[in-house]
Amino acid sequence: MYGWIWRHLPGNAWVKALLSLMLAVTVVYVLFQYVFPWAEPLLPFNDVTVDNQ
Amino acid sequence: MAATTDTEHEEQTGADGPPEPAARRRGRGAGRIVATAVSVFGELLITAGLVLGLFVVYSLWWTNVVADRAADEQADKVRDNWAEDRVGPDGPGELDTRAGIGFLHVPAMGNGDILVEKGTSMKILNDGVAGYYTDPVKSALPTSGKKGNFSLAAHRDGHGAKFHNIDKIEKGDPIVFETKDKWYVYKTYAVLPETSKFNVKVLDAVPEESGRKKAGHYITLTTCTPVYTSRYRYVVWGELVRTEKVDGERTPPAELR
Repeated sequence: MYGWIWRHLPGNAWVKALLSLMLAVTVVYVLFQYVFPWAEPLLPFNDVTVDNQ
Repeated sequence: MAATTDTEHEEQTGADGPPEPAARRRGRGAGRIVATAVSVFGELLITAGLVLGLFVVYSLWWTNVVADRAADEQADKVRDNWAEDRVGPDGPGELDTRAGIGFLHVPAMGNGDILVEKGTSMKILNDGVAGYYTDPVKSALPTSGKKGNFSLAAHRDGHGAKFHNIDKIEKGDPIVFETKDKWYVYKTYAVLPETSKFNVKVLDAVPEESGRKKAGHYITLTTCTPVYTSRYRYVVWGELVRTEKVDGERTPPAELR
């Protein structure tokens, strides 16, 4: 999978490394900005109130 | 394709020789597919592990960064509102409390002042503030002067983790609530280290579980416990000892000095 991505990135090793880094940063950004905030309320870690639901 | 024909050809020509090389080569082709599948599966597992690790980083660090930033911003707004009102001789009408009604100081938790806002929804608490209950039991505000229970909730971990050290509060410790012109000094008198999340009675105007039977000016702090989970709720009760007028320098009461 990662090997396949590496082979399909253009340029020489340096360009590939830079592009890989940018891809990784993008993935982390999407996770922190959209995926985790969405997933968090669905997980039972952070309910702090008492209620009758 | 070419490889297959090649193999077949070899099988035919080497009829009297052992068929082993061809079989081994075919086995290698299938093996390659298995190897690829295994490596992709392995990479997916590594990825899943990294994502889970990142989620921990997000929950315990990043949400704090975001929440503290939001809380600071709102706290500044509240302080500004207070300061501006002080300039005017009698203050033009009602005080703007949308950004928060005051600050909670609990020296035992050792994390400075906690902004208090209305409501205990995740949207509000995720800004790194404490919220006073409007549901299921409506909180009594100390500013109203009436007897009742000032019930609050805040996060134990992540999103500012304002009540992280709630377990450091012991009987007799002060809990001070600061508003524009008054300090409300409460004293902790009971702690419930573990209770069901359905136990809404702890928010009652007279929280009988704390041992009090008569109406009074109470304060209740709730959060989740044990740390990093939401299995139970941790409750701390305090009772109003006295109020102090805020002076020009906003000198904190003796308990905070």
